[in-house]
Amino acid sequence: MHRSTARLTALIAFGAVLLAAGSYWGLARAPSEMFMGDVQRIMYVHVPTAWNAMLVLTFAFVCAVAFLLTNAWKWDNRLEAAMEVGVVLSLLLCVQGAIWAKPTWGVWWDWDPRLTTTAVMVFAFGGILALRAFVEDPGRRAVFSAVACIVAFADVPIVYFSVKWWNSLHQAQSSPETVSKAFHWPLRVNAFGILFLWCGLTGLRTRVAALRLRGELGPPLPEAPPAPRPAAAQEGAR
Amino acid sequence: MSGVIQGGWEFVIAAYAVSGLVLAGYTASVFLRLRSERLRNGADETQETHS
Repeated sequence: MHRSTARLTALIAFGAVLLAAGSYWGLARAPSEMFMGDVQRIMYVHVPTAWNAMLVLTFAFVCAVAFLLTNAWKWDNRLEAAMEVGVVLSLLLCVQGAIWAKPTWGVWWDWDPRLTTTAVMVFAFGGILALRAFVEDPGRRAVFSAVACIVAFADVPIVYFSVKWWNSLHQAQSSPETVSKAFHWPLRVNAFGILFLWCGLTGLRTRVAALRLRGELGPPLPEAPPAPRPAAAQEGAR
Repeated sequence: MSGVIQGGWEFVIAAYAVSGLVLAGYTASVFLRLRSERLRNGADETQETHS
């Protein structure tokens, strides 16, 4: 295995171990919440997924800006990888939220501001990924993706602030002061677990994108042979 | 009615099970795609120039 692939695999494995430990802590060791009971344990995986989904999509935005500034393929590869990981985490976030909503709100889904803006985020970035598949020219595809990602990213801060700006069924952000200390550690451990997971996965997915691009563009051109010396050129002319 | 949600472990287990399955499935798909792209390119990553 290539050394950097091994490092990324180790990062993913470490993230998985942290996620397993944090989940065990949240499921078996942390106390149940006074109003939501055991259902609140979903928070230990739902909230870290939300934080990391927004973080990886922010990284995608950085990659999009970097590509437009530098025109370097590596940023397009990273952009593709980060958007895909971001869509997977955002979709997972919606499913976890629906599972939590049913016992607490009585419905799987509600068109509340937080949920609606999150759905827009999933469809916007998922749509960009789907459209990438239809653009054959790598250059045009990269520019289109970068511009579309910057436009779609406008929704990410709206998702974050939606619970502050509008009346929402979804609870507002908590802070360490408003959350019992007994809940802190499983949340943090899972947050770092998912962080390491997406960093490793984005790195490996970037390699997939780079290899595909290499197949599309072909190998780099060999260096030009040295120019013939004037004497040899004259002999050739005779 | 105590105002506290009773039970609900089936929802908790479902949330964790879905999370585990999605993350494991996506991780497996990335490794499989990486392997297939390497085979397709006859890849020597040291020669990779577009990453």
